[in-house]
Amino acid sequence: MKHARVLHNDVELDVTVNDQGDLVTAEGTVISESEVTWLSPIKKPGTIFALGLNYADHAAELAFEPPKEPLVFLKGANTLTGHKQNSYRPDNIEFQHYECELVAVIGKEGKNISREDAMDYIAGYTVCNDFAIRDYLENYYRPNLRVKSRDSLCPIGPWLIDKEDVGDISDLRLTTHVNGELTQEGTTKDIIFDVPFLVEYLSKIMTLKPGDMIATGTPKGLKDMQPGDTVVCEIEKVGALTTYIVSEQEFYGDKY
Amino acid sequence: MSTNPIVTGKLVCVALNDQQQLDKLDATFNEAPYKAAPTQPVLYFKPHNTWNTDGATIAWNEEGLVVGASLTVVFGKECCRTSAEEALSYVEGYTLTHDFSLPEKSYYRPDIKGKCQDGTAPVGAVVVPASDVADPQALTVVTQVNGETVGELPVSQLHRGVAELISIISNIMTLQPGDAIAVGFPGDRHPVKQGDKVTSSIAGVTELTNQVEA
Repeated sequence: MKHARVLHNDVELDVTVNDQGDLVTAEGTVISESEVTWLSPIKKPGTIFALGLNYADHAAELAFEPPKEPLVFLKGANTLTGHKQNSYRPDNIEFQHYECELVAVIGKEGKNISREDAMDYIAGYTVCNDFAIRDYLENYYRPNLRVKSRDSLCPIGPWLIDKEDVGDISDLRLTTHVNGELTQEGTTKDIIFDVPFLVEYLSKIMTLKPGDMIATGTPKGLKDMQPGDTVVCEIEKVGALTTYIVSEQEFYGDKY
Repeated sequence: MSTNPIVTGKLVCVALNDQQQLDKLDATFNEAPYKAAPTQPVLYFKPHNTWNTDGATIAWNEEGLVVGASLTVVFGKECCRTSAEEALSYVEGYTLTHDFSLPEKSYYRPDIKGKCQDGTAPVGAVVVPASDVADPQALTVVTQVNGETVGELPVSQLHRGVAELISIISNIMTLQPGDAIAVGFPGDRHPVKQGDKVTSSIAGVTELTNQVEA
């Protein structure tokens, strides 16, 4: 089952998405996608973990040795942005790139979870676009919050799909299209630290709770984004997430 | 692990903001892996599993624990892209944060293991309304371990002050009611032992006490 959250006539709704792509409310009312604004599918977002350099080919692209230990950083919930929504490119920068990532969403609280039991703690999956502003990188807590945790820097969705509906996640194809052109392609089989490993690793440090998310990193294929671009991050069996790039001024409007 | 009624959104902490520490590390900043001094505030999150309260016992960690205390700004309304001049008008009140961490060896990578252990960010005891604090820059955070003073950090000693930090951070991320910023910790985090009682205070504002698990 695909679980989404949408805004419909100014009301937040928890819906499921049927095979025709229509949205179905808890009462069984069918709503067309064209009538809603998509929200982040995670109702109560917890900690957002993201992995750096977790695909061997991407690490090489950035001229890094693949890490021996996971490179984990956190993103704030202010970054979460629904499907078909805007993300902004800051003024006066040279390089903002997308990162198509498989996100595992925690469904059950746990600490010291073994690799063998890890999948019991996963509710399902979604897609995120873990945007980065490379201009802002500094060598302190790198990648620093200014690079990764700005408003709108984590489009996510369109939905959360139950893990049973995806099954094996060890070889899912990932693609990113910018304005219809294929710019990034990879498979989750190139992940260095996989989901069971990460659940074990993180839960040794801290209690994982429902709503926590693990964005598992991105394969190679970075490309600069400009206002007006449309980016679609897609993961086989999970979903395709569309984001519109706008200028800082357009994004903030009166607050600019 | 207990929830905290003060922080319900995000807890943003500012590292490397003690001017004395920055002066001491100045030469190091030009070496690998840093290669250059930071040009922006060095920020980290204490995520929700770390939030804790006044009086809470902090779990011992076999790798050791260090503590620092920080004046903490709590937001009562949305704060988006504010200027330093207007920043303080978004502050609902002031409180204290204890950041218990594993001993920090490097600032190069995000320190999830060191900073995100359960229950290691008590915030409290109370939030003093901003209207009762004439000038946050005039406050001093004093930390005692077992009654002995181990740290004293005047807010005026911070490299970036409260208003400037709110302005910079609110230009990165919109701050919401229930969000908080711990504006700066003493450069030398203090090592604690099992059973130690840690009390930090800001005269006339609030006091925060935690005990390390025996």
